[in-house]
Amino acid sequence: MPITDAHVGRTYPPTAPYEVSAAKIVEFAAALSDDNPAYAGDAPTAPPTFVAVIGAAAWDALFADTELDLSLQRVVHADQSFVWHRPLRTGDVVTGVLSIDKVRCRGAMEIVGVTVRLRTLDGEPVADSSSTFIHTRAS
Amino acid sequence: MTVMDVAVGTRIGELTVSLTRARLVRYAGASTDFNPIHWSDRAAAALGLDGVIAHGMLTMGTALRVVTDWVGDPAAVRRYSARFTRPVVVPDDDLGVEVHCVGTVSAADEDTVTVTIVVRCRDEVVLGAVTAVVSRGDLP
Repeated sequence: MPITDAHVGRTYPPTAPYEVSAAKIVEFAAALSDDNPAYAGDAPTAPPTFVAVIGAAAWDALFADTELDLSLQRVVHADQSFVWHRPLRTGDVVTGVLSIDKVRCRGAMEIVGVTVRLRTLDGEPVADSSSTFIHTRAS
Repeated sequence: MTVMDVAVGTRIGELTVSLTRARLVRYAGASTDFNPIHWSDRAAAALGLDGVIAHGMLTMGTALRVVTDWVGDPAAVRRYSARFTRPVVVPDDDLGVEVHCVGTVSAADEDTVTVTIVVRCRDEVVLGAVTAVVSRGDLP
């Protein structure tokens, strides 16, 4: 049975702890062609949208949930909103917890809203990433 | 002009970047978003797209440089949101496609400055309602 609004509120276990490294920050900033000096040096700050790296890991739970029957390759991102409680920095160890916020089904299209909450292992809030995506179910 | 004395309507900066297939592959690896619609024409066509499209997060992350180049310290960014209104189709050639971003101050109060960014590709707006809120408290 595919995803329905009955799945709103479903929350997945935290992702495996992710340690932010200087090397990954450099890689991510280079992918954005962003030469801001904050992203260089021994202990760089992560670019704000680096949160998407942990977000992607949290999304895995959604596509692994066979009850929802969602396929990543049939997904297009529709909107995105971030709130940062503090910047993500080298050495931070964080997890992401994904919750399903909304589901609307229109024919073959399923419009799904999710939020990933990033926290340190001590529970300190780092960022919240809310996304809406459109999943087009194969006929 | 400093961020502190900025007025609503002030244009803070602009940026033009070329998005190529190579850049999409690089962003896929860096972000770990391996959705094949960002590298396979076949997967893109299966969703009715005109070809491989850029990750929305690549376009959105790129556009934020208008703000972080202006404030200097990326830690000042507190909120950032956008709607992906039109897909950015990236051709399989060496030139790619240009994305143009212009940032303007749309609100300011004692604590924060809000910047609205207009993001265009092929003369069309591709991201909608692109707003970033920066904290004045973090600024030098």
